[in-house]
Amino acid sequence: MIELPLVFVAGLLGSAHCIGMCGPLAVTLGAGAGGLRRNLHRQVVYSAGRIFTYAFCGGAAGFAGVWIARQAPALVASQAWLAIAAGVVLVFMGLGAAGVLPRLASHALGRMPCSAAAGLKTFLTAPGWSNVFLAGVGTGFIPCGLVYAFLLKAGSTGSLWLGAATMALFGLGTVPLMVLAGVGGSLLSLRARAAAYRIAAWCVVVAGTMTVARGAWQLQPTDDGAAAACPFCVE
Amino acid sequence: MSDPVTQNYCVYCGLPVPPALFRWTAGGDDRQYCCSGCRFAAAVSDAPSAEGAARQQLLRIGLAIFFTMNVVVFTMELWSRDIYADASFESQFAVHLRGLFQWASLLFSLPVLLLLGGPLAASVWAALRRLAVTTDLLILMGVVASYLYSIISVLRGAGQVYFEVGCVVLVFVSLGRWLEARGKQRTGAALDSLARLLPTTVRRAARSTDAPGSETPVAETLRQDAAVGDLVRVLPGERLPLDGRIAAGRATLDEQIITGESRPIVKSVGDAVYSGALNLDGDLWIRTTATADNDMVSRMLQLVRQARRAKGRYERLADRIAFWFVPAVCALALAAAWRHGVVSGVDQGILAGLAVVLIACPCALGLATPMAVWTALGRAAGQQVMFRSGEVLERLARVRVVCFDKTGTLTSGAPELLQRLAADAAESVVVLQRAAQLAGGSSHALSQAIVAYAANDAACRSADAGAVENIRTFAGRGVAGLWRSAPDARAVDVYLGSSRWMVELGLAMPERLTDQLAAAAASDAPLVCIGWSGGVRGAFLFREQLRAGAATAIEHCRELGLELFLLTGDHRRRAAAIARELGVESLAEQLPADKAAIVRQLGPVAMVGDGLNDAPALAAAEVGVALGCGADLSRDAAGLCLLSDNLERLPWAIGLARQTLRVVRQNLFWAFVYNVGGIVLAASGRLNPVWAAAAMGLSSVMVIGNSLRLSRYALAPSADADSPSRNENAQPTSDFAALPPPPVAGQEAGASQRPWAPQGASA
Repeated sequence: MIELPLVFVAGLLGSAHCIGMCGPLAVTLGAGAGGLRRNLHRQVVYSAGRIFTYAFCGGAAGFAGVWIARQAPALVASQAWLAIAAGVVLVFMGLGAAGVLPRLASHALGRMPCSAAAGLKTFLTAPGWSNVFLAGVGTGFIPCGLVYAFLLKAGSTGSLWLGAATMALFGLGTVPLMVLAGVGGSLLSLRARAAAYRIAAWCVVVAGTMTVARGAWQLQPTDDGAAAACPFCVE
Repeated sequence: MSDPVTQNYCVYCGLPVPPALFRWTAGGDDRQYCCSGCRFAAAVSDAPSAEGAARQQLLRIGLAIFFTMNVVVFTMELWSRDIYADASFESQFAVHLRGLFQWASLLFSLPVLLLLGGPLAASVWAALRRLAVTTDLLILMGVVASYLYSIISVLRGAGQVYFEVGCVVLVFVSLGRWLEARGKQRTGAALDSLARLLPTTVRRAARSTDAPGSETPVAETLRQDAAVGDLVRVLPGERLPLDGRIAAGRATLDEQIITGESRPIVKSVGDAVYSGALNLDGDLWIRTTATADNDMVSRMLQLVRQARRAKGRYERLADRIAFWFVPAVCALALAAAWRHGVVSGVDQGILAGLAVVLIACPCALGLATPMAVWTALGRAAGQQVMFRSGEVLERLARVRVVCFDKTGTLTSGAPELLQRLAADAAESVVVLQRAAQLAGGSSHALSQAIVAYAANDAACRSADAGAVENIRTFAGRGVAGLWRSAPDARAVDVYLGSSRWMVELGLAMPERLTDQLAAAAASDAPLVCIGWSGGVRGAFLFREQLRAGAATAIEHCRELGLELFLLTGDHRRRAAAIARELGVESLAEQLPADKAAIVRQLGPVAMVGDGLNDAPALAAAEVGVALGCGADLSRDAAGLCLLSDNLERLPWAIGLARQTLRVVRQNLFWAFVYNVGGIVLAASGRLNPVWAAAAMGLSSVMVIGNSLRLSRYALAPSADADSPSRNENAQPTSDFAALPPPPVAGQEAGASQRPWAPQGASA
């Protein structure tokens, strides 16, 4: 499936966006580590926690896609429509981030419930690997427009494992920059980050366009287009 | 003597302990908790390393969530195989894979049972030792049953598994309890920050008999160890740790926390000072007048604590419902489990029973009233508005009429002596001297004005006055005493009071005074006469001023749709003048007993007064409101104390009370509808326990969230004070918001003192 590498790239470049919100969390995590090596370990474990949550959510989204397809047999091509919807959202988000369209109001998403923040902080500052990992697991649940857009895409895969894989790859893509941010503060200059951010935005647009195209292709009345049989060998 | 209140209520939060199905003994000295959340929160607060304990519990929940996420993924995979129900899943490989996923679910779900089932089991065990059956027991039974059924399915290699049910139920129940405990803590956050303000140690002079000075040796002592009469030093920038009188030094004090007065006040030797006040600039020595548990701040906290323990009408109603609710739900759950077990198999029976128990857990019902009332009490206390009980809050919301006393309530408590008259010009100084001595024995505002006037009169201070003793106060009339020119001389009865009293006493009014008083009466000035030996000898005319904010307060009261009256023992004319100015009806020349009678006739009335002569009316009213009680928190007649002299707090408090009642009704309605609707669904087997557990947590969170809105109730009262958006955005101008924020999460749980926790049996 051609989108999976693209998802990884979108994650990789899109993490310039992550630095804004999750970067401070990574820095907090590194603050009490003492020593670069140990800090690096903590960052990696933290990212593993995030990827776990992303994969879990992706799996759930994939399952939801299967479930919808099953519950609404009348909508023969529900997966295709889901793919188109996800693609459109991705394109809009990408264009918004690239500055072509006015940005969607996403302030509401950014405001974490304060008790959740307090709980997360407890984990972030605590010693011990399980705490760090759980901090990552919690961070994965932080509302984020980019994550939601890719979750929609994961739903459109119509498979639990593919959904999980989509989100895991997205998460994996965010690791390098997040680890860098946590270890060495912000290595990239503001300018470089802005450039990376723009590239990421166009990447998201491309991923979205391809998702729409795939959905549209599935909509064509072919005999074997819409009904994917096995979760392990979709397409 | 044991207190019946503490026996049936959670020692941590004061909520009723879930009623026991069977209880043969009274429970011995075991501490009772309403839920495992409170048990945990109490353990955290009592533990020496509180933060560590809080972290431990969060870690437990976090790990459980991680394992549950895994279980859910495996379960979803098992489900998707059911959905696909494809030929490809009939193969040998697919069957093995299915078995593998089931084993994986088992493996990942066991830690959840150990992590979260443990605390739940401890709570159930504690209840069982009291021979009490709680909903916790039923939840645990349901969870364990679903585990056992699933394990048997895995071992047999046939049948459904329900590990995800057990895991998710445990996670949601634990998470819900945790949030509940945190919500309860937040209701008292404002007071907590107040309690934390006081220093933990004091600088005490080595010997209380030492003369205070910068050289006096001092020792750092725990605040609790300070005794009455100790000499304590307070440096600039520090908060006063205890109540007392200034023994040496002079300082500007910020008493906003106690009196709400934002303007700092200068105090010097002999002045009374209260704990919590901030010493801005002076080096003070204080002779303490109260111990650490009886000082101003402690009394404020105690008052709120007592207010929380007294149950209002709605709370008692919820308690009554909850008492029958739990046994009924238990019976219903068992019945549903039995019926579905017989009809659709053991697994469906277990699920139905578990769903009923979860959805019907009366958490939301039990929280509905106390959460709202406590939050409102805390919010009010933050504005120096002290409710004596939650019930007062409920009664204040129902009030439709407000009666104001005039002197010291609508008018400023400190009238000025405008003019003194003497029947005989030669007696002018004597009249003032005797009046000042009599007035010194009364706290009435007019008396205080006479004393202040005399203190500034040089002629009065220099002359020999003799002595007035045996001073008695006659409510609504005046004061009387015995005057002697020398200790062994003949005593003369002296009276200071209203002209009406003079007439009652049969004291003749001299002509010279009559003319002057007639002129005074025309100008509506307040008047006090003094007389002895059968005649009125002098009179004092005062100037009265409207209290700052009185007009605004009246305006806001009217916007709340309240009927307003002025009730006073004063002259008809003078009352009418004030009433006209404020646009309220006046009932003048009322004796205290008359006031009480009127208050009773008017129906649900809030009576606002300040002084002793209002006590009967305050007691007779639906809600007695005492203004400017300042240090005198223990006024029994008043259900509501406005510590600050700010009358505008009254309409604010009424608005808050009404909003609280609305929130209580919303909470109760929601909790009841949710419970009843959910039970019907669950008993008919249409509700998966997973959703029931989520709904259970959600309903508690909704009730807590709805109640905590009251903690942001806007300070500026107005006609549209009910609109929540306005309330949330408004910033309080002078409350604890200005205080340092409480520590976050883990630390908070331990450091706080839980002011609302009911005390032991001695209370």
